[in-house]
Amino acid sequence: MSYAYLFKYIIIGDTGVGKSCLLLQFTDKRFQPVHDLTIGVEFGARMITIDGKQIKLQIWDTAGQEAFRSITRSYYRGAAGALLVYDITRRETFNHLTTWLEDARQHSNSNMVIMLIGNKSDLESRREVKKEEGEAFAREHGLVFMETSAKTAANVEEAFINTAKEIYEKIQEGVFDINNEANGIKIGPQHSPTNPSLPGAGGQGSSQGGSCC
Amino acid sequence: MLNRFKNAVIGAVGGFETNGLALNQDLHQRSSLSPKFPYARPHFLELDWEQMQISADHRLRPIIHPSQSLAFNTGYAECINAGKSKWNEDQAVLQQGVLTKLELVENSPPVKYDIPYSYYGIFDGHAGVGAALCAANQLHHILHEKLVDAQDDIWQDFIGKTVSKPRDLLIIGALESGFREMDQLIAEDRNKYQSAGGCTALVALFILGKLYVANAGDSRAVICSTNKIIPMSMDFTPENERDRIRQLAEEQPALLGKEFTFREYICQPKSVDLGKPIMYRDAHMKGWAYKTLQTEDLKMPVITGQGKRSRVMGTIGVTRGFGDHDLLAVHQKTPIKPFLSPHPEVQVHKLIDVTEKDVLVMGTDGLWDVVSCSKAAEVIGKQFDLFSQKERYVSAATCLVGSARGILVNDHSWQLKNEKPASVDDISVFVIPLFPYRDAYLEFKSKYTDVDL
Repeated sequence: MSYAYLFKYIIIGDTGVGKSCLLLQFTDKRFQPVHDLTIGVEFGARMITIDGKQIKLQIWDTAGQEAFRSITRSYYRGAAGALLVYDITRRETFNHLTTWLEDARQHSNSNMVIMLIGNKSDLESRREVKKEEGEAFAREHGLVFMETSAKTAANVEEAFINTAKEIYEKIQEGVFDINNEANGIKIGPQHSPTNPSLPGAGGQGSSQGGSCC
Repeated sequence: MLNRFKNAVIGAVGGFETNGLALNQDLHQRSSLSPKFPYARPHFLELDWEQMQISADHRLRPIIHPSQSLAFNTGYAECINAGKSKWNEDQAVLQQGVLTKLELVENSPPVKYDIPYSYYGIFDGHAGVGAALCAANQLHHILHEKLVDAQDDIWQDFIGKTVSKPRDLLIIGALESGFREMDQLIAEDRNKYQSAGGCTALVALFILGKLYVANAGDSRAVICSTNKIIPMSMDFTPENERDRIRQLAEEQPALLGKEFTFREYICQPKSVDLGKPIMYRDAHMKGWAYKTLQTEDLKMPVITGQGKRSRVMGTIGVTRGFGDHDLLAVHQKTPIKPFLSPHPEVQVHKLIDVTEKDVLVMGTDGLWDVVSCSKAAEVIGKQFDLFSQKERYVSAATCLVGSARGILVNDHSWQLKNEKPASVDDISVFVIPLFPYRDAYLEFKSKYTDVDL
């Protein structure tokens, strides 16, 4: 399936805040209650429509574990959008946001759109971080903010799509140089998905398009 | 002469890929041929087309690992080179097989057995992806046939019957003959498919309580544990194979063409020194002697350079593996294949004594060029503290690849944490826990002790 643009996203934040669950909910519309540790980085993709244009989101889901930090840090480069996630039921994940943000700002391109996500909004009874605190942090650091639940899917679509909208607007305003792939944006191939430069690429394009992974 | 020598070495390091291909005599004719196997990543990674494209990003070099657990939670990870070739020229394979027999004999108990085995392969390609893809797709089938040929003897030996040769020799023989056949197959395909280039081959075979590691090339297998490191392979580089190659050259000087010599000199002979004494040694000499420098001594030694930069005929830096049938010396156009060998060295390790922390690490030179065995053991050791059984081997593989790949600094150089240059090569690593193989073997053995023996 062809697309007008491809946006590259990266999801970051402490371990166990629900990064992989947000991705799974967005790409597969399902929730995985067991915490499977992410090793290094994993990938997901989904097509969305903005302003009548097909946009492919390619999402790099990173491990939150300190052990993988030096590896995952290198993936900030070339991302157009980042979802910075904390867990509203664990204050320490909120306290670590500054470190994550510094890391992201230091290693990414300056135009990267960052969306702050307070996840697990379904666990209201165990809430440790008030919504207003998230809003205040976002305001202070110039981020977009949203509370989500990967379990109930509340605001998950919006989180990914609003980030895409903001990137799209920046493209319209000419902020992003779309010809430089290092910005995490690629203009889509308008025709067949098969890549003629792939050695012997016969029939390999079938798995592309729609949601994958 | 010296300039030409320098150029040859630089050519070998910098432009090997293009040179190797361009030197094919009938490239023109063969360029229209299709590859035998389409480019792919290891089957167990289950990458779709999109993910395969992502995996080939030379600027980000994402470390790819299986998304589903492999047998015994075996770890694997890989990443692509920093731009020396469009595709990742490493390949990896994991296969489980069974040697099975059910023979009903009248008036006597049936002969019945099922011998399970596990096969791991790592192939590091050069001058293209073809040979490594052939090995990744075919070598395990060839090896299976070789094992089937010998399975009755292997079984008889296992159950304690007298056989003409012990099973170690039969399994080593299966590996050795399998490697040779793989190379022949690539040779036979030369005019049918696109030029395949060449590849190294490192295979680990777990069967009947033992680990057999067969190596032809400069990938490396090592058993790492808390307090010990057991090398399971040696690197076949021009430097390490100096004796074999020079002796072959001395016996068959025609293979050297007009411009190479099997002699080794203490320093590069120069024409201004003609008539003066120079220290040298012939192919079979251990020591050194003096001779008078003559015109014939001004030829280029068949082995040049040292360590990672050592080359056969100034061209190739690895002396064993598959393919390279059309490879010619960069400048002299002398065929190099006669000096290369598909023959593996096979090492055997008994699994009965392994401990819970023992792992077999198999990696291409992309790993070992910058990560020492002790550093690898250290990285793996940390995973035991941090992660559960399920994750520790795949995280170990990921961290090993990460510690060889390093990070991109100032958009142009890949650096390690200590700011030394990181590996810009393709990097592939298996981390295989050995203890489960020991357990599986004990269980297998008890089953057959109860039923059949």
